[in-house]
Order: sequence, then C-alpha cells, then structure tokens
Amino acid sequence: MDSKPSAERPQRPPAPVKIVIAGGFGVGKTTAVASISEISPLTTEAAITSVGAEIDRVGEVPAKTTTTVAMDFGCITIDEEVKLYLFGTPGQDRFGFMWGDLVRGALGALVIVDTRRMDDCYPAVDYFEKAGLPFVVGVNMFGGELAHEPDDIRWALAIADEVPLIMFDAREKLSVRDALLAVLRNTFAKARAAAS
Amino acid sequence: MSDSRPDVSLLRPYLLTAGRAKPVDDTLEIEAQVMSSSLGAAAHSDLAFERREIIALCRKTMSVAEIAASLKLHIGVARVLVADLAELGYVVLRRPGATPAQDLSMIERVIRGLEAIR
Repeated sequence: MDSKPSAERPQRPPAPVKIVIAGGFGVGKTTAVASISEISPLTTEAAITSVGAEIDRVGEVPAKTTTTVAMDFGCITIDEEVKLYLFGTPGQDRFGFMWGDLVRGALGALVIVDTRRMDDCYPAVDYFEKAGLPFVVGVNMFGGELAHEPDDIRWALAIADEVPLIMFDAREKLSVRDALLAVLRNTFAKARAAAS
Repeated sequence: MSDSRPDVSLLRPYLLTAGRAKPVDDTLEIEAQVMSSSLGAAAHSDLAFERREIIALCRKTMSVAEIAASLKLHIGVARVLVADLAELGYVVLRRPGATPAQDLSMIERVIRGLEAIR
C-alpha cells in the first residue's frame, strides 16, 4: 500500500507519558500548564466519581455519583519518541478526587498549594498518598510573596518529611519546568530505592 | 451468568485484542497516542460523522484527550470511538508503558528533555 506516500509521517506514534497537576480551585493549575505547554491548554469534559456519603454515613454503602468536570491539559515534546502530557485535575471537591484513570500510569504529581487556602489541597495530598503516586508539593508564590515559612507549610499540610516541598511561580515557564523536574527526580529516587 | 440485558457495556473487546493482557475493567488511557492508518484513510468516506472526523484529525498524531477537546466530545465518548476505530485497524495506538513511574530510563529521558527547555 505505497500508493499514498506521506513523507512526514513517523513510523509510529511517540510514547506518551504524563504528570498530574492537582490542587484546589484557582490555585494556578491552568496557569502552570499554560506557562510551559507547547499548545494552548485544551479543555475537555471528563467524569469523576464522587463518594459523597462515605464519611457522613458510616456503615452504609456510599452513594457514588458521577460528576462531569472540565479538565485542562497541555503537552511538551521531550524528544522524537516521547511526549509529556500535563493534566490539570479538578481537585477542589473534598470527596471528588477519585480519579484512578488519571493517576494510572502517571510519572508523578505536582500538588499546587496557595498558602492563603491551604485546605484546598488536602484531597489531592490524601489521594496521592493512598494511590501510592509519588508527588511533590509546590507552593505557588504568586509573585514572590510567601506568607509562611516552608516548615510551617509542611506542618500545616501534615505532609511527610520525604515529600519534597518546593516554591515556584506558576506564571514562569522555567519555574514550572523546575517544579516538574522536582516531580520527576522524586519519582526517580523512589523508583531507584524500590529497585535496589 | 444469567444476564438478560443486551450488551450495553461501554467497554468493548478491543481491550482483549490490543496486544497485551489487560483487566476487563481497564480503559484506553487519555494520553494514548492515536494515528490514522492507511486503512482508515481508505475507509474515511464510509464512516459516520465523529469517526470520520477522528480519522481526519489523526493524520497528525494526537492523544485521546486532544481528540476529545478538538471535537468537543466527552472524554469517555472519545475513548470508545477511538477504541472502535483501533479495533477496525483504522487507527494505530501507542499506549503508555504499564508502570512508567518505575521506568528509570524513561524518567531520565523526560528529565533530560525538560532540562533542555530554556
């Protein structure tokens, strides 16, 4: 079937990898994706499963509801064979972060924190801990202001010492790049420790 | 198994034929790469609306998520349509590895790629 030569077509598609970017509403997820993505962030509708009754009604079967949410994403070409996707997850709902689909196969996650609303990132931290996905907490500095010391933030979020905590600016491309590198180095260290 | 209902599952048997053993409740990854095949290009004019659009769109390789966004489809719908097209051989898929977070050489490769960003 060589009747239609297509000179530019690669032999096969690139291998996709992904990093999940989570955090509360308005914390800078889409901004971070936009700062570094090669394409303008795209939005798609996706379903998340909420387990709303789990905590309020102990002992009963939790009622699961499926909610449709908007998810933003972008991508970065790593090399000719590898493409990195960044998925900004809607994680603002206390019980809504039940999205195994998104986490399955991820290289790691960046949980973005706004120090003015630290509670908002609890569901994501909690979820990644349970899912066993390596994650890094990134405090979005919104222009250099930092109302709390890193140790105070760590304490307030009750995150383990081995979870890296970094400061970054979601509006700056290189700052976002460094945050993603922190995610990857954390995953790498964990994978190497597990392999030895 | 006395299930009298017609087969209304969104999960299609493509999962069993995709070349590697997958649990039946698995679904196509949203980052999976989709590329139209020459078979798909040949069948293009016979296909229904969304499927035809996917074949046209995926002359340029893209992810399931990008297809959903471009065609304004719910991601679950895009997933099923792509899976159908893959089963027919109209698109070629490249799915992520089984456990990328344990793949040291892949992680290093992505690190190098990001470090090159200026």
